[in-house]
Amino acid sequence: MTTIVQKISSVFAKDKELVEVKTKPYSNPYLTGIGLGLVLLAAFVIMGRGLGASGAMSTLVAVGVNTVAPEHTQSNPFYSEYLGDGTTSPLKDWLVFEVLGVLAGGFISGSLAGRVKKGIEKGPNITSKKRLLYAFVGGSLMGIGAKLARGCTSGQALTGGALLNLGSWAFMMMIFAGGYAAAYFLRRQWL
Amino acid sequence: MKKLFSELDLKYKLAIIAVLLGVVALFAGDPYSGTSVKVNVKDLALSTVKSSDKINPTDLADWIIQGKADYILVDLRSPDKYAEYTLPEAENIPLVELPNSDLLRNQKIILFSDDEVAAAQGWFILKAKKYNSVYILEGGLNGWKEKVVFPKVPANPSKDDLAKLEKKKAVAQYFGGDLVTETTSTEVRTEIKLPTSSVVPQTTQPNTGGKVTAPKKKKREGC
Amino acid sequence: MNAPFYKFGLFNSDVSLIIAFIIGIAFGFALERGGFGSARILAAQFYFSNMRVLKVMFTAIVTAMLGLYYLSVIGFVDLSLIYISETYILPQVVGGLILGVGFVIGGYCPGTSVVSFATGKLDGLMYILGLMFGIFIFGEVFPYITDFYYSTNMGSVTLPQYFHLSYGLVVFLVVIMAVGAFALAEWSEKKFAHRNPENQL
Repeated sequence: MTTIVQKISSVFAKDKELVEVKTKPYSNPYLTGIGLGLVLLAAFVIMGRGLGASGAMSTLVAVGVNTVAPEHTQSNPFYSEYLGDGTTSPLKDWLVFEVLGVLAGGFISGSLAGRVKKGIEKGPNITSKKRLLYAFVGGSLMGIGAKLARGCTSGQALTGGALLNLGSWAFMMMIFAGGYAAAYFLRRQWL
Repeated sequence: MKKLFSELDLKYKLAIIAVLLGVVALFAGDPYSGTSVKVNVKDLALSTVKSSDKINPTDLADWIIQGKADYILVDLRSPDKYAEYTLPEAENIPLVELPNSDLLRNQKIILFSDDEVAAAQGWFILKAKKYNSVYILEGGLNGWKEKVVFPKVPANPSKDDLAKLEKKKAVAQYFGGDLVTETTSTEVRTEIKLPTSSVVPQTTQPNTGGKVTAPKKKKREGC
Repeated sequence: MNAPFYKFGLFNSDVSLIIAFIIGIAFGFALERGGFGSARILAAQFYFSNMRVLKVMFTAIVTAMLGLYYLSVIGFVDLSLIYISETYILPQVVGGLILGVGFVIGGYCPGTSVVSFATGKLDGLMYILGLMFGIFIFGEVFPYITDFYYSTNMGSVTLPQYFHLSYGLVVFLVVIMAVGAFALAEWSEKKFAHRNPENQL
């Protein structure tokens, strides 16, 4: 265990020395995975819960809809669940703060590695406009799927996976199944 | 051997470590066993509800107000009594039905009834069923009323007590009660109002008429 | 025998929000280090050319699982106090399929889109907007699909409970499965190296 910790810290130490160099290659996936696993473990040990992401978005959506149409959210059990009972602000939520941290952490890591650059991630054979449209459509589908499955890749697959949760494992297998099934039809976007 | 290992690529080293840890896991035993109290009949007869298994009503009041929803409150009384008065967010599981309840083992369970007796019985039942974190409300609902809803205060509180009393008062009023002075002395502080004896404590949420409902405030913890 | 700390009341919910932010920073940092801020690398998972998603995810699962297992066995963590979400098998299977399709179309998952946006990617932002739109749509149709949403509830059930295997055995099997998957991933990355976006950077 300590050797792994040393390894990880040495990887990050190496990264620090190279800050001046421009864009760096991404870290070794296995070491990154161990780092991510330790973060998840820390969440378990400290909080007794795992990580998440889509839950925070749901809270934001519920709060947004609530400001526009309060009567509407009161009658809809989906929204009211995220709004709580009104004793505290729904934004004072664990996942909301966690996702704010993700935003900060992603920026810090990207800055250190010289990877913060305005741009669009896309395959060579697709226009930027189309890519942005695809991103929006894909995001919408993920929103619906994540809510139906009660979690996304972080909240269900990662967290539930480590907890050996039956539903999470079924869900994870289905993500890969759905992804590989759809990949062929979308090859022009990425290849 | 050691040299051979150190010459391996990092990914193979990690894979070997992972597999070794996995193999050890085969024999390391049940992760739940370290935490659960092993109870057999003899142990059960000898075990008692320790003071650490009791939740102070004042603490519980704080948790309810803070909305700390990491526990389940279980009302062990009859549905009639439950409909009449219960604690906020409490679930009703009469003692006879407790052995067959579908309470989750991964939550802190706080049992209560009018006094401590039924709660202590429930505590034994759940402990025998390997529930780990079972607690009882100290003094039961009677204690709750005395300590939280209608707390007694000395007629002439000292200066040190006043700050504490303010908090007590706020808590009591949150649950629909108020402070009660120990004696009927006329020297009652202006801000401490005498409650009328007929006041019936109100729950902060509308009663569900004895119907078992999941705690509404229970936060979704997933994503 | 006093973890998870929060559930033993070591700090209150306000402090937990600060912890949430710190854990989030570490989470975002790890995701970015792993290359998860790039949609091309994430999507390449489904074209067998870059298997970072699988490698990082399964390594993380194995690490956290082993850590949690051993911390519980030595009695440091009370495993029964860690929140396990309930299984609703049918909605979760359907949701997983939709999520997988959405993953290939959008190129991100909710967590990674935040990282992508943090590193200045416009498509990451569009994805987040789409995600919120999707959640809004779900919220609007929720009253009509409530029955399906709550169908096939199996309670909080873990793989060892469901298959009547010992926890240790399942831990072992997951490790073996992960190592096997890594071997396949390495092989597939070599075979499809010509279209690995990481090699084109």
